[in-house]
Amino acid sequence: MTHLIRRYRRLLLGAALVAILIGLAPDALTAGWLSATLRSSSPILLVVLGEMLTQLTGVINLGVEGQMLLGACLGFAVTVITQNPWLGLLAGSLAGALLSSLHMLLCVGLKTNAIAGGVAVWVLGSGLSALIGRAYVGQKITGFGPLPGLAWLGSVGAGLTPTIVLSLLLVPAIGLVIYGSQTGLVWRAVGESVIAARSMGIRPWWIQLQGIGIGGLLSGLGGAALSVDYTLTWAENMTAGRGLVAVGLVIVARWNPFFALPAALLFGGSEALYLRLQSVGVEVSSYLLATLPYLVSLLVLVLSSTQRGGMPQGLKGVFTANPQP
Amino acid sequence: MIYPLFRRSLNRRQMLKSSLLAGGSLLAASAWRPAHAQANTNKIGYIYVGPQSDYGYNYSMDLGRQYVETTLGVETTYFDNIPESAEVERVMERLIRDDFGIIFATSYGYLDHAITVGEKYPEVSFLHAGGLKLGENVGTYWADSDDAMYLAGMVAGSMTQTGKLGFLGAFQIPQVLRTINAFTMGAQSINPDVTTTVVWTGAWLDPPKEAEVANALLDGGADVLAGQVDSPLTFAQTAERRGAYVVGKDVDVTEFAPEAWLTGASWNWGPMMLALVESIQAGTWDPEFVRGTLKGGDVVLDPFGPAVPSDVQTQVLAMKEQILSGEKTVWSGPILKQDGSEVAAADVRLPMETLESMDFLVQGVIGSPS
Repeated sequence: MTHLIRRYRRLLLGAALVAILIGLAPDALTAGWLSATLRSSSPILLVVLGEMLTQLTGVINLGVEGQMLLGACLGFAVTVITQNPWLGLLAGSLAGALLSSLHMLLCVGLKTNAIAGGVAVWVLGSGLSALIGRAYVGQKITGFGPLPGLAWLGSVGAGLTPTIVLSLLLVPAIGLVIYGSQTGLVWRAVGESVIAARSMGIRPWWIQLQGIGIGGLLSGLGGAALSVDYTLTWAENMTAGRGLVAVGLVIVARWNPFFALPAALLFGGSEALYLRLQSVGVEVSSYLLATLPYLVSLLVLVLSSTQRGGMPQGLKGVFTANPQP
Repeated sequence: MIYPLFRRSLNRRQMLKSSLLAGGSLLAASAWRPAHAQANTNKIGYIYVGPQSDYGYNYSMDLGRQYVETTLGVETTYFDNIPESAEVERVMERLIRDDFGIIFATSYGYLDHAITVGEKYPEVSFLHAGGLKLGENVGTYWADSDDAMYLAGMVAGSMTQTGKLGFLGAFQIPQVLRTINAFTMGAQSINPDVTTTVVWTGAWLDPPKEAEVANALLDGGADVLAGQVDSPLTFAQTAERRGAYVVGKDVDVTEFAPEAWLTGASWNWGPMMLALVESIQAGTWDPEFVRGTLKGGDVVLDPFGPAVPSDVQTQVLAMKEQILSGEKTVWSGPILKQDGSEVAAADVRLPMETLESMDFLVQGVIGSPS
């Protein structure tokens, strides 16, 4: 434990700094922006973490957009039926995992090209969610109430919802598993080289199935967070590309779960910022402002690409016809 | 040995034979096309840009379709989620092949495609929502919600404590700019110091972004939200959650925001669509710009919410009577742009062309019109 703390002291310091900033947020508008950043980042953060785990085992899954949509749709549907948002989140996660099993079949089972398989999952998810969701458009749900015991965080604490807290807690949890446990070592070994992993007595396909499944679970949860907790509505294609953004943010985060948090916060924060800049009357074309989240992410990508390493070597096999020997 | 069929190249005679065959069947197919026949005006097709069940713009159009179907007993069908590209031409062709004689193209970007397809099939009648061009067999229909939004703005101006109204706009197109201006002018008629802050979402339907914009506007001090995006559902629910007020658009969503609801401007396309279909069936239709009004009942001022006190209701309904009688017109001067320059002097009415190509925001609106 102590060596982990020593290893990630800079990150811990950063987290403490953010907490202090949130606590000291000078006025309602800044506090509002910080809440907004957390709100709009947390669904993406969940998906980034999920996709990162998938990619760490050497498989890319572009189907996260479809998994998110199905998670959002079924999460909302179950919340409507049971009037229990927790069951909605559970259903959404399971839906995402279930849909990802198609990617398991295509990519690990039949060894098809991962890009093609991912697109198939995406299209299927968006079609299925539209079909199932039709009956639930315009239905009403009540989301989560405010969380108790967060009064010390001031107005930002009042804006925290269960999915935000969950997504924030998952970052160190997943980070510790990946870098601090035998399981994480095995996962990374599979991602680096299937052959080497196999020679160590690891079953790579089993690890990859887990990676895809947990990725599906988390992207479904991210989708459900969007519909059940964040907007309280279901609308066709409501993710509007957030799943694909998450795939991009995995690269920005250099496949490091700890960096997933700043990457997601950066995107969500700049999205919240550009909308808020408009609301305080900044005289810039809204079309220009709308590029802000993408420009910021691109900038970080360029800066971070000077750092070498991070990418699981197994991902290089994506463009070969038969990726896994 | 993968494609044995194509391995042997064709000799000249075979080539001639097969191309004759292909040409002949093409000819036969085009002759068989039921075009130039009498169009079947008892089959009516609808095309929507978004989901039919969006509880917003497309849903309002579909309510019109249902009205036409039940009133006339005709056959109708719809295709939804059709992008404003060549894709819509394929959908139109498909409807025509299936013998649909009247087509409602309900999205702004469908206009040029409707005109293109219309030239090919002169016997079919096309009706486009809100277009500024006509074809030989392409007419347009629309209803101006300005009057209703002005009245809704009066309610918002009466109810606001902070003097700040928030507005969610999708895109800077004339129809949305008109709504914002009419809403703001209505509010200013009650309290001249009221400002409307506009935030553009850049999408007709993006609920997460709409929720975020609504929160941003409320954090910035606005206490009444209005908007013109695909559906008022998301921002109405956000207003309800945050204890603010909301003015709706396109569809009445009172039940989703029972406390927050003030009023709204809803479409009522049914009677207008019915009249158009009936005149096409009677053979008396000429493509023209049909523009509905509050007076004609094509746009409805929604019922007031419980928060609106009765004296405000009386005042707004009195103004509604003045608009219906023609005593008051929303678009009469003085109207000033954001920078203070004059668009219309006192008692000058803005002409239809200026309205339909509006590219400015009035004084008191905070936000960029481009």
